[in-house]
Amino acid sequence: MTDRVLIIGGGPAGLEAANQLNLLGYKPVIVEKDDTLGGHLAKWDRLFPEGESAETVLYKLIKPVEHTPVYLNTIVEQADKEGNHFRVKLSGGKEEIVSAILVCAGFSLFPAEKKEEYGYGIYNGVITSSDLEKWFKTGKGVNINNPSKVGFVHCVGSRDEKICNRQCSKVCCVTAVKQACEIKEKFPDSEVFCFYMDLRMFGRKYEDLYLKAQNKYRVRFIRGRVSEVSEDFTGKVVIKAEDTLSSKPLKVSLDLLVLMTGMISNSSIEELSGILSLNRAEDGFIEPADTITKMYDSGKEGIFLAGAVTGPKTIPETLSEARASALAIHNYLSNKAIQ
Amino acid sequence: MNRFGYRLSPSSQIDLDVSDNSLFRQILAGEPGISTCISCGSCVASCSAGVFDKISFRKALHLLEAGMDTEAVALLEGCMMCGKCTLVCPRGINTRHAIVLIKRKLNKG
Amino acid sequence: MRERIVFAFDPFVIPFTLGMVFIILYLSVGGFKIIAKLSAEEKMKLLKHTFSFAIFKTLWDIIADCLLHIKIFKRNIRLGYMHASIAFGWFMLIFIGHIEVMLYTPQRMGVLYYPVFFRYFVMKTHETLRGDFFFFLMDLFLLIVLSGVGIAIYKRFRSAIVGMKRTTKLRTGDKIALYSLWLIFPLRLFAESFTAGISGGSFLTISINRVFNTFATNESLIQPVWWAYSLTLGAFLFALPFSRYMHIPTEIFLIWMRNSGIRATSSRDGYAESEIYSCSSCGICIDACPMAVKSENSKLTSVYYLRLMRRRLPESMNHADKCLMCGRCVEMCPVEIDSCKLKVLKREEEISEKRLRMAYLSEVHTNVNKSDVLYYAGCMTHLTPVIYNSLFKILQKSGILFSFMDKDGSICCGRPLMLSGDTYSAKELIEKNRQTIINSGAKTLLLSCPICYKVFKEEYDLPGIEVVHHTEYINRLLNEGKIALNKSGKSFVFHDPCDLGRGSGIFEQPREILMKAGELRFASEERGKSHCCGGSLGSLSLDKEERNGITKAALATLFENNPDELVTACPLCYKSFKNINGKPTADIAQIVAEQMV
Repeated sequence: MTDRVLIIGGGPAGLEAANQLNLLGYKPVIVEKDDTLGGHLAKWDRLFPEGESAETVLYKLIKPVEHTPVYLNTIVEQADKEGNHFRVKLSGGKEEIVSAILVCAGFSLFPAEKKEEYGYGIYNGVITSSDLEKWFKTGKGVNINNPSKVGFVHCVGSRDEKICNRQCSKVCCVTAVKQACEIKEKFPDSEVFCFYMDLRMFGRKYEDLYLKAQNKYRVRFIRGRVSEVSEDFTGKVVIKAEDTLSSKPLKVSLDLLVLMTGMISNSSIEELSGILSLNRAEDGFIEPADTITKMYDSGKEGIFLAGAVTGPKTIPETLSEARASALAIHNYLSNKAIQ
Repeated sequence: MNRFGYRLSPSSQIDLDVSDNSLFRQILAGEPGISTCISCGSCVASCSAGVFDKISFRKALHLLEAGMDTEAVALLEGCMMCGKCTLVCPRGINTRHAIVLIKRKLNKG
Repeated sequence: MRERIVFAFDPFVIPFTLGMVFIILYLSVGGFKIIAKLSAEEKMKLLKHTFSFAIFKTLWDIIADCLLHIKIFKRNIRLGYMHASIAFGWFMLIFIGHIEVMLYTPQRMGVLYYPVFFRYFVMKTHETLRGDFFFFLMDLFLLIVLSGVGIAIYKRFRSAIVGMKRTTKLRTGDKIALYSLWLIFPLRLFAESFTAGISGGSFLTISINRVFNTFATNESLIQPVWWAYSLTLGAFLFALPFSRYMHIPTEIFLIWMRNSGIRATSSRDGYAESEIYSCSSCGICIDACPMAVKSENSKLTSVYYLRLMRRRLPESMNHADKCLMCGRCVEMCPVEIDSCKLKVLKREEEISEKRLRMAYLSEVHTNVNKSDVLYYAGCMTHLTPVIYNSLFKILQKSGILFSFMDKDGSICCGRPLMLSGDTYSAKELIEKNRQTIINSGAKTLLLSCPICYKVFKEEYDLPGIEVVHHTEYINRLLNEGKIALNKSGKSFVFHDPCDLGRGSGIFEQPREILMKAGELRFASEERGKSHCCGGSLGSLSLDKEERNGITKAALATLFENNPDELVTACPLCYKSFKNINGKPTADIAQIVAEQMV
């Protein structure tokens, strides 16, 4: 009998892991709580650092697993270990008996309305990075009409003790620079500002993107965190920040303000970690058994981890981890077979 | 002795070998949060009095840490104690408490 | 009834008499010092009050508060009975004791110990109805006191019986006084019982006398027990100044001064001193204090602050800085000690002439668009644009023209400075804002922040200008029919912000609004007893973790009846709750703006 592996989450990590497990000769089954596969990637337009199409990337991930069984709009309700197997109850009365479970539950975007001083949901000119990405992709959702001044606020919901999210979300800096360039491509006459605390351009070619934003698109990088947003009588968004490098308080009226919402632990993780008895860290993400050598190991026998469920990650990092987890599952199941 | 046409000016360089930041350390003992400042400028941006006067908690803190107490304190003059800076600080520093402590040290010093 | 001891003296009276002389001297000197500390103006106030009709009100207050403990009765009947039975019962024992001396041995009037040890010195000559009546009263009041002492002893071990979760920790002086107090009345009972065969007695003392007679002779026990009784009384009196029972004499003083209109002007002036010594260490403020949700923070509550002040320890400064100034302990204090005021005064003393100045104020213009209604957002509301945005929608819908006083930046209302102890600088801000408001020609000053509201109401001289909080104003617009609400199926709970509810007495208006907007549910602690949100500007040094703990405790009281949404009326409360509350949090203006017809 071929071992079945339950994959919780049909985003990049889940899809890639399913592909690898198929290749290794197992039968993966994907459980996805939404009605489509792809997770956040499916909602994205282009990816940093080189502007690859998110759709193409997603196609490359979905194509190999098109025959893999998928439960859409489904969540895990109960999981019991019975000998070498897990008996997993799914919503809708379905049941799966599997030899291993891979948790790829991913992350949630920080709800920007929680940072109420930024006025998301109150002012029309204030949108989030995912709203903008959706607009790039579909032209829908928000109304962006030849803005003359656009601002990007980094670290919205990241590195902020006040809203109880201390962690850096890692990808927003690069995303902001990417989106700033895209705005300039679409509206070459606009003036674009990035308000940052620190620019974390940690990956290969990210610095190139930053350089391009500076010398090709003339994006203005202002080192200071936006603290307050209001609206003037013409409907423009007025923001206050400090230009910390020149030590002056600063105010600017913008047509569009984009909030770079950070990655927080998945909204469903509280329930799921209860069902699977997984350890959660203070920041809400799942704590792996070893954060250096065994990121894929949940510390619970037969349960593995991959992707942003253990913290903010880029897509390449997520995919590497998915492959590592698939291999770890293979090792686990082969050892069992020998015993 | 040879005299060169220039010399290192003590006023424009922070010399960590000799700087005395005892005031900073005293404030730190009362409000440990001040060591976690990341200089984001939120406090200055939101400052009610900052619209009217040169007030900068952020800069004052760094000057204080470098032992430049007089310059630091000048940047807090006119603070209205409204507490907005405390509310916006992403590090959760009790900026208002730090300002109170600085004010009190001034009285005694 | 006649005297049976020659010279009316026995050595056992010495401990009591020494104690009594000591305490009379101590109180006279202390009282004199307190009065000496008062300013000339305050002394005049005290004098005028003493010779006015209002003194009768003061006398009644003293009886009601110090003897009958009516306020504690209102809080908890058993706790009230415990206090009243000991205080009033003891007072009656002393009072009737004096009457007995007056009636039977008038020649001994003025002998300090005589009324206390009356039963030792007299013998019964013949039965009279009058004599038996006094004996009966004496036994009755002794029984009442004993029942109170019984509850007190029980309370030490199980404070929940009297409705208190926690009680105070005792110091040495307190312990000596407390244990003496516990012993005084049982010893008195036995002393009087053993002599009851000679002096006479009533249902209690005579019965005990008979019981003892069945197996021992009372006579041999008389001397030791009267000695013990006198010794415990002496111990109590000597320990009194070093114990919490100092509140008994001091409170009388405090009521007298308070009713004369005297208030504390420094953390240690005459009035403050009597407040500090009037604290009975009852510990009601421990349960009242939001900081004490963490039990190790019980040490930060007002009772311990007042103790540190008594002992003049420098740690009192840390306590003064931590206090949230929510006023919950003041609201519940049976002695009405304004601890918050004392702590602010303490902070004031740390600010000197070298304070940071508001030099820029003279440059700031005071012009603002003229209109009848002037809206002032204040510093905090600038961080919660949803509040003023909603309010503006409501004003527009009502057809009210208004101008926005601090659209381009606020001169702070001054209250945060006052809370930090810098009243002088606060006055400068207040004067600046006052000019702007008067220049605007407005008839109404509209505020959305209770912190501002309280200071505008209390400290600003704004003749002909009505100061209103948006809860009052919106309620008025609803009552006048300028706006109407669609009632939704949602259930709300209202959080009373400290400065709006306890601080300014606004409880009904927000509730009336919410009852029109949906279903209003009760919180387990609300109105005057509302829990602080944890965000208060009153505290200078409380850190984020501690504040979050307070916020969580407040949320627990608010969600007792499981409402859908938490509604408040203060930008600071809103901000404190919003990030911790799992359910929706809104300002009252938001609810109204959303549900307006």
